[in-house]
Amino acid sequence: MSDDGNDTTPDGSQGNGGIDGTDGTDWRGRGRSVLDRLVEASVFERVLISLAALVLSIAIGVVIILAAGRTATCESAATTYFGVGFCYDPFRVYDRLFLGALGNPINPLFDPLHGQFAAPFREGWTPFNPRLADTMTETTILVLTGLSVAVAFKAGIFNIGTQGQMVVGGLASTLAMLALAPLFSGVTATLVLLPIGLLVGALFGGLYGAIPGALKAYADANEVITTIMLNFVASLVALYLVREQFQDPDSFSTKTNDLPAGVEFPKLVYAPSDEFSVLAFVFVLLLTGATYYVLRYTSFGYDLRTSGLQPDAAEYGGVDAAKTIVASMTISGALAGVAGTVYVVLLYGYFQPGLPAYGFDGITVSILAGNNPLGVVPAAFLFGVLKSGAISIQTDPNVDIPIQLVGVLRGLIILFVAMPEFFRLIGKRANDLGGRSRDRTGGSGPVRSDGGVLGGEGDE
Amino acid sequence: MTTAVHLDGITKRFPGVVANDDVDLPVERGTVHALLGENGAGKTTLMNVLYGLYSADEGRVIVDDVERHFDTPRDAIDAGIGMIHQHFMLVDPMTVAENVTLGSEPRKWGGLAVDRDAATRSVEDLCDRYGFDVPPEARIEDVSVGVQQRVEILKALYRGADTLILDEPTAVLTPQEVEDLFEVFDELTDQGKTIIFITHKLGEAMHAADEITVLRDGQNVGTVPADETTREQLAELMVGREVLLEVEKTPADPGDEVFAADGVTVRDERGIEVVSDVSLSVREGEVLGIAGVDGNGQSELVEALTGLRDPTSGRLSLAGDDVSEHSRRRRIEAGMAYIPEDRHEQGLVMDFDLVENGLLGSQHSPPYARRGRLSWNDARRHAEAIIDEYDVRPPNADARAGSLSGGNQQKFIVGREFARDPRFVVAMHPTRGVDIGSTEFIHEQLLGLRDRGAGVLLVSSQLDEVRGLSDRLAVMHDGEFMAVVDPAEVTEEEIGLLMAGERPGGVDEDAEPEPSTAQADGGER
Amino acid sequence: MSEATADAGSDDSWLSMDNSRVLVVGSVAVALVVLFLAGTLFPDSTAGALVDILLLPSTWSSTLTLAVPIALAAVGGIFAEKSGVINIGLEGLLIISAFAAIFAADTTGSLWLGFGAGILASVLLAAVFAVVCIEFRANQIIAGLAIWLIALGFAPFAARIVYGGPNTASLSNSVPTVRNAGIPVVSPVFDSLAETSILGPFQALFRASPTVYLMFAVAILGWYVLNRTKFGMWVRASGENPKALDTSGVNVHRVRYAAVLLSGVFAGMGGAALSYNVGQFTGSGQTMVNGKGFIAIVAYLFGNYNPIGALLSTFLFTMLEAIQTPLQYAGIGVPRTLVQTLPYVGVIVVLALVGRTRIPAAAGDHYETGEDR
Repeated sequence: MSDDGNDTTPDGSQGNGGIDGTDGTDWRGRGRSVLDRLVEASVFERVLISLAALVLSIAIGVVIILAAGRTATCESAATTYFGVGFCYDPFRVYDRLFLGALGNPINPLFDPLHGQFAAPFREGWTPFNPRLADTMTETTILVLTGLSVAVAFKAGIFNIGTQGQMVVGGLASTLAMLALAPLFSGVTATLVLLPIGLLVGALFGGLYGAIPGALKAYADANEVITTIMLNFVASLVALYLVREQFQDPDSFSTKTNDLPAGVEFPKLVYAPSDEFSVLAFVFVLLLTGATYYVLRYTSFGYDLRTSGLQPDAAEYGGVDAAKTIVASMTISGALAGVAGTVYVVLLYGYFQPGLPAYGFDGITVSILAGNNPLGVVPAAFLFGVLKSGAISIQTDPNVDIPIQLVGVLRGLIILFVAMPEFFRLIGKRANDLGGRSRDRTGGSGPVRSDGGVLGGEGDE
Repeated sequence: MTTAVHLDGITKRFPGVVANDDVDLPVERGTVHALLGENGAGKTTLMNVLYGLYSADEGRVIVDDVERHFDTPRDAIDAGIGMIHQHFMLVDPMTVAENVTLGSEPRKWGGLAVDRDAATRSVEDLCDRYGFDVPPEARIEDVSVGVQQRVEILKALYRGADTLILDEPTAVLTPQEVEDLFEVFDELTDQGKTIIFITHKLGEAMHAADEITVLRDGQNVGTVPADETTREQLAELMVGREVLLEVEKTPADPGDEVFAADGVTVRDERGIEVVSDVSLSVREGEVLGIAGVDGNGQSELVEALTGLRDPTSGRLSLAGDDVSEHSRRRRIEAGMAYIPEDRHEQGLVMDFDLVENGLLGSQHSPPYARRGRLSWNDARRHAEAIIDEYDVRPPNADARAGSLSGGNQQKFIVGREFARDPRFVVAMHPTRGVDIGSTEFIHEQLLGLRDRGAGVLLVSSQLDEVRGLSDRLAVMHDGEFMAVVDPAEVTEEEIGLLMAGERPGGVDEDAEPEPSTAQADGGER
Repeated sequence: MSEATADAGSDDSWLSMDNSRVLVVGSVAVALVVLFLAGTLFPDSTAGALVDILLLPSTWSSTLTLAVPIALAAVGGIFAEKSGVINIGLEGLLIISAFAAIFAADTTGSLWLGFGAGILASVLLAAVFAVVCIEFRANQIIAGLAIWLIALGFAPFAARIVYGGPNTASLSNSVPTVRNAGIPVVSPVFDSLAETSILGPFQALFRASPTVYLMFAVAILGWYVLNRTKFGMWVRASGENPKALDTSGVNVHRVRYAAVLLSGVFAGMGGAALSYNVGQFTGSGQTMVNGKGFIAIVAYLFGNYNPIGALLSTFLFTMLEAIQTPLQYAGIGVPRTLVQTLPYVGVIVVLALVGRTRIPAAAGDHYETGEDR
């Protein structure tokens, strides 16, 4: 007997209720058990599900690491469980992954479980270490791609094309800054050229995002497919342009000329050798706040969110669906374009085809954050840790597990976040232990909050 | 006579409510038994228990004198029970024969292929036997609703059903089709089948049934032979109090024309003309009703008027201005309010709270929005005012719209639309699926708005409602206005004929002072 | 034809087309006719060279070979989506099976076992997808993306573990073609037909890898199962109106599970065939699958959920890819990287033109029943 069908009305209105699972709205606000209510609570639920998804993914990661450790060949086992040797030690992997990304902050003597209460932080550890700088650099870019995906998601659009929009924005801004470079130098390069670059990145990223938006709005073309195709097109065209038109003549690798020296985000407290800039991060935080503000406190944001939740209701409320789709995809693309620019400026100072998959990570970040712009920042940090931790793994000779592991974790996290019902079910099971039997079709029926007539709706 | 089905002391509880309370229901073989009750009386729940969709908490299901336990509809089907749901369970792109045999397909070549000829033959045989006229090769999407219902009945018969349950079978039919259906009932009972049909319409129950069981609040409040009871007795049983069958209203005092549509033609997604050259005019302070069986173009007409669908041709004017090309938003801002047919998909955003829902349609208008910025304080005050004035329960502006009951959702929509102080209101099925108390309240509000000088266009398939509220009444059939009549003068039979597409001699099309908005050619196309 | 359509289900006729498809197919046909006329009249022009390329048996050979993974995945996708589960994770299924097939073939030394392992891996991943979507009501699009990303991470991860790099070893023994397989009677016939120049481009049919024949067989079989068998009827009903199927006493979840697993089987064949035809699995960047799973989705949309139609539209896309190399040799125009964008741009154009496909009414919707378990 299943007890997970709670989208039903007691009299089976609309033709025996629970059979129709399409009405995703009905079961939500209905009467629920206490634990369900807890899990229901929107923000709390999201956080809980995201954390659970994370924990579950990491747990599955352990299994994968162990399995990989049996398959791989190594001279001496890294760890032994139940008398079986494994080439990789999952705990060491995760230790590197998470603590390595922070620059190993933990004092080895700090071990409260064994009564060692030394200072928790390792001597000499500062938040301004290069490893954390690396993590924060990743975070900075991931916040932008996460916001890009989140804005589209809020409007009910799956923008898988953040990656391509980022490539287009990054390349366009690089070329624009290179073209204008002779006019500026030193401080003016920072003050004038960089903002121009960011604007050009936003513009071209936005335009590239508007294409699938318009295709969806006016030709009904599924945006998931078009954006993925446009990703391929973007990277191929970028490769062509750099290789054939804008190749740095002094370099053997495929890259553009270097941007002028002044084009950079001032580093402030971090060492010049670190790529992270507090200023860039503050800029990104401001963009986050602005995105949140637009979504929550403007008429446009209201239109966008309404379209995302219930397109029919949006049209009923006077929202121009087509314009909203194009506009939100443009904003989404613009954020991705800014991400591309920030990536180029922060990390390399030139454009090189074959960008890391920040766009796809942005999907994970956004989903993990429940598509809430404010949630994007912690989610991006978490992912920044994973990505930067992957480098710690590579540099640690004792843990040579392939860093594609992070890609697997990314997929697993999305998978688990996508199935909140799984966690609800676990919650319900826990709740039902010793509980009364439930109806097969109706786990829980409506409790009319107004004590109104039972089944007052439907059953016409 | 033997008992075909006996529900004995059925109790079915859902958290917080008792849907069926110790219900006893014996049904004689070879008879038509009506299950009568208001919306939410527990009729469908009871039948779902009989059909194996729900299991009863208490009580016994006895079929042919044997106690049965149905865990799934499959079990019920095996015991000879068939159910025709209110919303047909048919696969539109498949043929009649494929639908009838779905799940029990005749096969050939050792099971490697479906024997489509055998399926067609089975359907033809069944049609011959019960006198149906259903083309086995036609696709469901190409046949009328009446035929689709026959297909549902054929499905049950094909599976060997002896007892047929029909849930509100007449809701989607024209009066003529209803008559045909009742003849089918006779044919089936003559051949020994038993029929239980759910309805909330007194007249149908009395007309078609041998016995009538009335449910109220989940209890059986009486089983009576159809020929020994009266409408009044049944009505009192259903409602439990004396019923106000009439809406009290003062005569209209119409002013100037506030809205006019001229020659509106609409095609649907498939390019089929669903509204043909309809013209109408609504004056200040009057209610123009549109009656008709669902699916005769009312939805598309209303969408064209409110700006949700582009008509192929036609002109619209609101308070003298041409609004034909205006977007939905501009029409709202010009003073058009709309209570939509589908409150779950259109009228409310289910995941928004009431504060946010109160903004829907006003999200660009002061005081809620100035220069693109929203004022949540004003929005909250607005929502609280609606809740207060329209008695929305629970009185909590932070409640999610999806958590409200249907009646309260509808009250909130009505409140929001009326708070705009509209000049012209389109109300589509404003009380569908709403409890009686809320229905009366919404009717009062609509008339109150009319008396304050707004024009109201009321579309409803419930004849009592449109007749009671309208000052003039248009009857729509197959995308056209058959006639515009005075609801006080016309009889129910006359409206019924018009709804079925026939123009009786007695109805004078030009009974109204306004020029007729009916089409001269009219009739079947 | 009209009789055939009247007596058949919606996608029952072998090729039913609506206006936008007629437009695309028509304009492609017109363009080809013009091209052939121009090419015949002016053999030395660019048009002439293009016609030569289009008629080369080798162009047709690579069109067929390139089509195998796409068409097989497309047929799989049709089954899943017809049953109401949009399987956007086809790309992931192709990736995982492409890797698993080579890995298993390399480990066991048996091409058959490798092929089976490819299918198995794909089915397992499809099973995860099915459970997540059907049992736990996940959003099908997000879950499909997750399946893709998991495979995109896992295959190169595993390749690094086993082979120390993103690519696997190359197959030691390649898949023999029928003409070389030494089958009595059949092989000599194929061999002589493959060299019969009068057949022109159709020689390619007899030079092809067995996986090409598998592709044709699966497309025809897929059409038959979908339109002529009980299971096919259930699949279609499950995607159009699951409630109708449910109340007819058929378990909708079970039908959907079967359909999604079947999509895993077909995509698995496609992935295994892909890496077999190349001889190894390459896992850098987007891996060797490189969007083929997504092109498969467009192919079946364009083919209107008809396996035969999907096969033909696949050829449209792979032809674009197949002419790239000969174009380079012929010295015609555009740089290779730009030509490589052609299939992707083609997909976008086609999708924009046929955007309004009639998708199964209940596709993407979760279905909860009272019947299962």
